[in-house]
Amino acid sequence: MKSATQITNRTNNPSNSLEIKMKGFQIAVIVALGVLASACSNVERSRDLDNASVAPAVTAMQVCSNCHGVDGNPKSPNFPRLAGQQEEYVISQLKNFRNHNRSDPEGFEYMWGLSRNLTDEQITGLAKYYAKQIPTRGETSPDAKLLADGREIYEKGVPDQNVIACVSCHGDKAQGIGAFPRLASQHADYLEKQLNVFQNTQGRPGTAMEFVVHPLTGANKQAVAAYLQSFPE
Amino acid sequence: MSSTRVVRLGVKLSGALLLCLIFFTSLNANALPAFARQTGQNCVACHAGGQFPELTPYGRMFKLTGYTIGSRSIPLSVMGVASVTKNSNSSLAGPKDGVPVFGTGSVFLAGKITDNVGIFAQATYNNYGGDSGYQGTWGSDNFDLRFADRFIDTNSDLIFGLSLNNNPTVSDVWNSAPAWIIYAPTMFGTSGPDTSPIVGGLGAQVAGITAYAMWNNLLYAEVGAYKTANGAFSFLSQGTNNAGQTKLAGSNPYVRLALNHEWGPHNIMLGVFGLNVDIHADPLNEGSPTTKYRDRGIDAQYQYLLDPHTVSAQFSYVRETTSNSIASLGATNDSNTLNALRIKGTYIYQAKYGASLSYFNTTGTTDSGLYSGISANSSPNTQGWTPEIFYTPVQNIRIGLQYYAYQKFDGASTGYNGTNNAKDNNNAFLYVWGAY
Repeated sequence: MKSATQITNRTNNPSNSLEIKMKGFQIAVIVALGVLASACSNVERSRDLDNASVAPAVTAMQVCSNCHGVDGNPKSPNFPRLAGQQEEYVISQLKNFRNHNRSDPEGFEYMWGLSRNLTDEQITGLAKYYAKQIPTRGETSPDAKLLADGREIYEKGVPDQNVIACVSCHGDKAQGIGAFPRLASQHADYLEKQLNVFQNTQGRPGTAMEFVVHPLTGANKQAVAAYLQSFPE
Repeated sequence: MSSTRVVRLGVKLSGALLLCLIFFTSLNANALPAFARQTGQNCVACHAGGQFPELTPYGRMFKLTGYTIGSRSIPLSVMGVASVTKNSNSSLAGPKDGVPVFGTGSVFLAGKITDNVGIFAQATYNNYGGDSGYQGTWGSDNFDLRFADRFIDTNSDLIFGLSLNNNPTVSDVWNSAPAWIIYAPTMFGTSGPDTSPIVGGLGAQVAGITAYAMWNNLLYAEVGAYKTANGAFSFLSQGTNNAGQTKLAGSNPYVRLALNHEWGPHNIMLGVFGLNVDIHADPLNEGSPTTKYRDRGIDAQYQYLLDPHTVSAQFSYVRETTSNSIASLGATNDSNTLNALRIKGTYIYQAKYGASLSYFNTTGTTDSGLYSGISANSSPNTQGWTPEIFYTPVQNIRIGLQYYAYQKFDGASTGYNGTNNAKDNNNAFLYVWGAY
């Protein structure tokens, strides 16, 4: 260890600037290590998903926001819009992820792990957080016929194929009702993929959707998804 | 190569690949390395199209927030690369040319430590350490210990942190950074220009502290300083002997700025960086003259991520000027420049089937003192292409075939060293890369 006098003497000697730089570096490292050591718990800004004392709003902002946006309006259509989503629906989905009842690819790839240690209280808190966010409008397709076809399916179903109207469960503003999710402004790509999950897989069991969507064609799914993304027109 | 040898090689290769597949898949078809165990997520959440190491927007956030998302778990992973390289010209082929080998194995200590601290530390066993065959050695590889915090609300988002690392740009979150743009290089053939900017050549030689901030996922800034990884920091340069270690003079500054933008399934980054390092001519003599390297880089990355498609492109241009080269390197010119361009594009379908194409072009001033030993016209100029196809049968195993095709090597297309043509360095590289 050099004494303070020696260090002071060195500062007067330009030829020792190298050693001064080294001292600065060592101090920076000591400060850095001190910061590391002092930061064991930080519940107010934690990204820990296995700590019941982390508030749901903290988890929503520190973790969920990375994909779903801080206000539940994600930029990427890979991730569903959660802003304004029905509280009951979000609770049921998070529990379905947690107990592996929902196994669509995006569900198990992204959500099984993140939800595995959330408490019921945290899940309810997250659902409340997203329910009160304001959804932003989705992009409107320039294809007027596609939108008109989608609207027809949403409001009237496909009577020839015994497909009931979506509006009967999801609401006249597609705002959702309780366990039936809000669909308005949802990403078309996400909606189409989920319709395919209901139609072609057992990835989301326990709902009527697999029977409802069974007769839908690819064009039907594309149209109703495009309509809902741009809803309300 | 006779057809019998080709068949025999094919049989050996198939056997090696099969063994690797059986080994890794029998562990667990859903096997997840340490970070994936911590978040419980699949590789595809953090890695674009599942191809490690390129990060998705979420993966970048995971790293910037100090590897702290998720639940603390056993922070250990292993990784291995088995491969075979076949050179186009036997006179330039390595001792294991055409022979399937176990190339490298790594152990990782990786994961969340506290709410604000996480680590990504890799130690690598190189099964090949010279010209005579197998000489296994362990050594430090990438190291990044982070502290990070994040102040976020509906109006603003500020992530800031500190990183202790052992390679300039290893702390970066974009795959266009020098530490990340090249991966899985062949161990036996020529996998790039002989001469590259120093920013890519300091890994596991140096120790650095950087401080960084990301504001609103839009503006990224990082500043830091690097010194020789010796003394208390020698754990960052294990496996490198004192005489072979690059010795920096004092603290050497690094700065990085990047603009990031995401819209729909697209995201783009435009960045610049600068690194000044002064390196002693004699690693064992701190009084020896220093070469002053000044690296200035511009880079960009674009990604389109929407299942089942992944498209990504990287651009990197680094201009390096060196001075005091006569005294320190025995160069003819006291000052030289070296420009390294690299462009890469990748497409992946269903996070399983992928192809990429990389172009590299290095140019620089001629210097008979520096390059006469490798180049007949004393030039470092090298240009070529690397096409690759790869297949990811399960998320933690990748099988890839790369081909390195050189149009120009060390200054010329033909007779670059008086004997060989650039294309004599061409080689095919088949690898199996697994992690658990």
